Amino acid sequence: MNATAADVALPKGKAGDPFSSAWRRRLPLLPALLYLVAITQLPFIVSIYYGFTNLKDKTQSLIPEPTKFVGLENYKQIFSDSFFRQAVWTSVKMTVLAVLLSLIIGTLFAILLDRKFLGQGVIRTLLITPFLLMPVVAALIWKQQMFSSLFGVLNKVLDSLGFNSVAFISDHPLGSIVTVLVWQWTPFMMLIILAGLQSQPTDIIEAANVDGASALGIFRQLTLPHLRRYLELGALLGSIYIVQAFDAIDVMTGGGPGSTNVPYYVYQQSIGGGFRYGAASAYAIVVVIFAIIIATFALRVLSSLFRDEERA
Amino acid sequence: MAAVQYEEATRLYPGTPTPAVNKLNLSVSDGELLVLVGPSGSGKSTALRMLAGLEPLDDGRILIGGNDVSRVPPRDRDIAMVFQNYALYPNLDVAQNMGFALKQQGVPKEERLKRVRDVAKLLDLEPYLDRKPRNLSGGQRQRVAMGRAIVRHPKVYLMDEPLSNLDAKLRVQTRAELVELQRRLAVTTVYVTHDQVEAMTMGHRVAVLRDGDLQQVDAPSTLYHEPANVFVAGFIGSPAMNMLPVSVDGSVKIAGAEIRIAQALRGGPTTIGFRPETVTIGGDGPIPARIRVVEDLGSEAFVHLVVDHEGEEQRIVAKVDPPFAGEPGENVRLMLRGDVHLFDETEVRRATVRL
Amino acid sequence: MTDRERRRGGKLGVGERRTVVAGLGVLAWIVGLLWIFPVAWTVFTSFKTEEDASAQTLHHGLSFGRYSDVSHATAGTLSLQTAFMNSLVVVVVSTLFVLALAIPAAYALAIRPIHKWRDVLFFFISTKFLPIVASIFPIYVYAQKWNLLGTRSVLIILYIAINLPLAVWMMRSFFMEVPRELIEAAEIDGTNLFNQLRSVILPIVAPGIAATALLCVIFAWNEYFYALQLNFANGSTMPQWVITNVSTRGNFLAKLSAASIIACLPVVLAGWAAQKRMIRGLSMGALK
Repeated sequence: MNATAADVALPKGKAGDPFSSAWRRRLPLLPALLYLVAITQLPFIVSIYYGFTNLKDKTQSLIPEPTKFVGLENYKQIFSDSFFRQAVWTSVKMTVLAVLLSLIIGTLFAILLDRKFLGQGVIRTLLITPFLLMPVVAALIWKQQMFSSLFGVLNKVLDSLGFNSVAFISDHPLGSIVTVLVWQWTPFMMLIILAGLQSQPTDIIEAANVDGASALGIFRQLTLPHLRRYLELGALLGSIYIVQAFDAIDVMTGGGPGSTNVPYYVYQQSIGGGFRYGAASAYAIVVVIFAIIIATFALRVLSSLFRDEERA
Repeated sequence: MAAVQYEEATRLYPGTPTPAVNKLNLSVSDGELLVLVGPSGSGKSTALRMLAGLEPLDDGRILIGGNDVSRVPPRDRDIAMVFQNYALYPNLDVAQNMGFALKQQGVPKEERLKRVRDVAKLLDLEPYLDRKPRNLSGGQRQRVAMGRAIVRHPKVYLMDEPLSNLDAKLRVQTRAELVELQRRLAVTTVYVTHDQVEAMTMGHRVAVLRDGDLQQVDAPSTLYHEPANVFVAGFIGSPAMNMLPVSVDGSVKIAGAEIRIAQALRGGPTTIGFRPETVTIGGDGPIPARIRVVEDLGSEAFVHLVVDHEGEEQRIVAKVDPPFAGEPGENVRLMLRGDVHLFDETEVRRATVRL
Repeated sequence: MTDRERRRGGKLGVGERRTVVAGLGVLAWIVGLLWIFPVAWTVFTSFKTEEDASAQTLHHGLSFGRYSDVSHATAGTLSLQTAFMNSLVVVVVSTLFVLALAIPAAYALAIRPIHKWRDVLFFFISTKFLPIVASIFPIYVYAQKWNLLGTRSVLIILYIAINLPLAVWMMRSFFMEVPRELIEAAEIDGTNLFNQLRSVILPIVAPGIAATALLCVIFAWNEYFYALQLNFANGSTMPQWVITNVSTRGNFLAKLSAASIIACLPVVLAGWAAQKRMIRGLSMGALK
C-alpha cells in the first residue's frame, strides 16, 4: 500500500520557539485561521454580549442604542417561548427530512448513474442542475410554476386527471419547503455517493461475484459499508447547510406556523420585524451551543470521518 | 471436481486490433494443476478471467465438467478464485471473509463456522479469525485469500498470480505449501503466473502464452528439453537459453568453430539454442571466448562470456560447478556437451542434436 | 481500458441481459428528464408572453421578448449590468482569496500536520453553526461604522468567511492523497514550502482545486441574505436583481422566468463545464 502524506511522522519541536518545527508547521494555517476567527468570532462575541441585554428598537432603523443589561433574562424567556419551541421542532423536522430524503434519493440516482449507458453524461448534467440554481430561484420556480393554485403545473395535471386542486404551499408548508430543499440537494448527495461508488475496488466486487453473491447481496454486504464514510460526509455537509435554510422560507411562505425554522424565527425576532436584538441573539447562542454539543457527539463518537484518519 | 476445456476461446477488446486471447484450445484434466505462463500482455490473465466469467467470450466456448458455461455468470459456475491483490472484503473479518461464499449459498451458521475453522487450522490462521484485513500482513492476507477459496470445495480453483506480492523467501515457502495442498485436495486448478520458476515447479502441465496465442502446453520437463519454438525455449529456464543466429550447410559454425550437426538439415538462416549447462569451459574446446563476469552463487556458478560470432560479439552464459578459476577478461575455450536445438526461420524447433 | 471501464462500460458482462441493462438506461433517462422538468418548464415559460404564461397555454408563440424586457433597466431600480458586475467581482475575488488561504491551511493540516488538526478542523466547521441571521446585526452595525454598507468589499469579506471552512476541509482531503515519496523527494531536493507546493503538490491536486473553486463560486454567486441586508436597493448582486422582478402588482411570470434564467446561467454553465473535474476531484479523495 502506498503511504500518503498522512503517514508523515510528527517530529517534536520545542514549544514556544518560533523557529521550531512545530511553529513552522502551524504557520501556513494561521492566515486562514486568524481570518476566520476575526470575521466569525467577533460577531459571535458581540452576539453573546447582546444576549445579555434587552437590546431592541421599534423605530425600524438598524442603529438602536443598547438599553440595559438584563443578565440571563433572555435565556429564561426562551424556555417559555412556545414559538421558539415550535421553530426548533420545525427545524428538526425540516433538516432531518430534507437530509434523509436527499441522501436516499441521491444514492439511488448514483447507483443508476454508475453504469455506462447512452447519454450518461447528458443525464448527469441535467441532474446536477438544480443544485447550481440560486435557492431563491429554485423556491420561486416551485412556488409559481409547480405549486401555485392558480397556474401551477401540478394542479393543472391534477385537474386534467379529475382531481381537485391542492393548495400545496398553504396546506403543506413544511412539505413544500422540504420538496424544494430535496430537489436542490439531491444532486449534491448524488455526486458524493457517486464518488464513493467509483472508489470501490473492482476486484472486490469480482471476488464477491465469484463467491456467489447476488447484485443486491453485494450492495448490502460490501458496497453500503464502503459507502458509510460518504453517506456520513453527505449528511454532515448537507445538514450544515440545510439547517440554515432561509431563502426558500422567505420566498415561499414568509414564515408561518408550519414552516418557520430557527434561523427564520431568529430573523423574525430581529431585523425581520421584531427588532428584539437582545432576545434574538440569545436564541442564536442557544442554538449554537446545542449544535456544537450535537456535532461533537456525532463527529467524535459516531462518525468514522475523524477517527480512521491515522490509518491511510 | 471437474475438467476444464477451452475451445477456440477468443477475446477481443473493442477498439484493439488483435485479440487478447486468440482461439485458445486447452484441456485441463480433473485434479490437474495447469499453469498459464507468459510475459505481460500474453493473455494469461484474460484467459483465466474468461474461465471465471469475468470476461465475456467473443468466440468459442468454455466448458466446466462438460457443461458449456460461456454464458453463465461467475456466481453460477461453482469456481473459486484467488486474486493477485487478494481482494479481501475490507469490512469483514477473516472468518467472515472465508465464510462469505458459504453464507451466500445459505449454509447454516454452525456448519459455516466449522468449515472455516478447519481451513483456518490448515492454514495457521486461527489466531487471526477476528481481525480485519487491514490489520494483517501480506503473507497473512494471502493465506486468507487461499482459505476463502479452499473452504468452498468448488469444481475448479482459479489463481491469478497469488504469490507475486509476497517477498522472495515467503514466496518460495508458500509455493511448496501450495503444491502440497493442491495435490492433497486434488481439485482442478488453473494457475496464472509470469514467473517461469513457479510454472516449472508447480504445474502438472504448463501452457505458455504469447500475445494471445498458445505456444506450447506440456509437462515442465518436456517444455525444458523439447521446446516447440524459440519463444518457449528462451522463456523457460533461467538463465535463459543461449541463442545464436547461424546458417546450416552440413555443419554449423559457432565463432568459427565447426559443430557437427546431422546432415538432414539444409538451408538458410536458422537459430541454434543451447542451455548454459551444455557449455563446458575447458582448455581444448573448439570455441574461443572471453570471460566478462563470473557469478558464484555457492552451489553453482554462471560465467558470462562473449564470442566473436560471424563478425559480431555475442554473449553466452555457461553454468559451471564452483569453484571456478577464471577471471574477467581471460580468454578461454568452450565446448558444447548436451542438447543443441535448431530452429528454422519461422522460429519452430526442427531438430535437437545431442553432442 | 482500466478495470473499471471494462467492468462498467463496453459490452455486457457475462450473464447480463441486454434488456435489463437497457431498461436501466431508459429509467435513468426518465428520472433525469422528470427531475429537470421544473427548470425546463421555466425556460419554456420565459419565452412566452405573459398571458400565455399565466394560463399555461401557448397561443402567442415564443420569443426573446421577455429577455430584452428584463435587460433594460428602469430608473431607480437595480440594473442587470450593475448586478452582474457586482456579482462577478465579488465572486471571483472572494474565491481567489479563499483558495489563497485554504491551500496553505490544508498544507498545515495534511502534509506536515500540526498536532491538533482534529480540533482545528472541528473549529472550522463549527463557524458554520451560527445562523447568519443572528450575526447579521453586529455585522450591519460595524459595516455601517466603517462605511462598508453597499460596497462589494463587505460581501467579499463575508463570502470568504462563508466558504473558507468547506474549502479547507476539501483541500485538506486532496492534499492527503499526495504520495509521501514525492514530498520527501522534494524535501531532499531542498525546496521550500512555496516551491514544493508549486511543482509537486499543486499539479496533483489540481482537479481538487477546481472542484473546490467551483463550489465556492456556486455558493457565493447564489448567496442572498447578506447581499440583501448589506446593500441598498439599487446596488446589489444577482439574487437581489431577480427578486426585483417579482412583482406583487400583476402577474409577470414570463418576465420573472427570463430573469431567473439569466441570473442562474453563468453558474449553471460553469457547473456543467466543470462537472467531470468536480467528480474526479471528489472521488480523488475529498472523501477519505
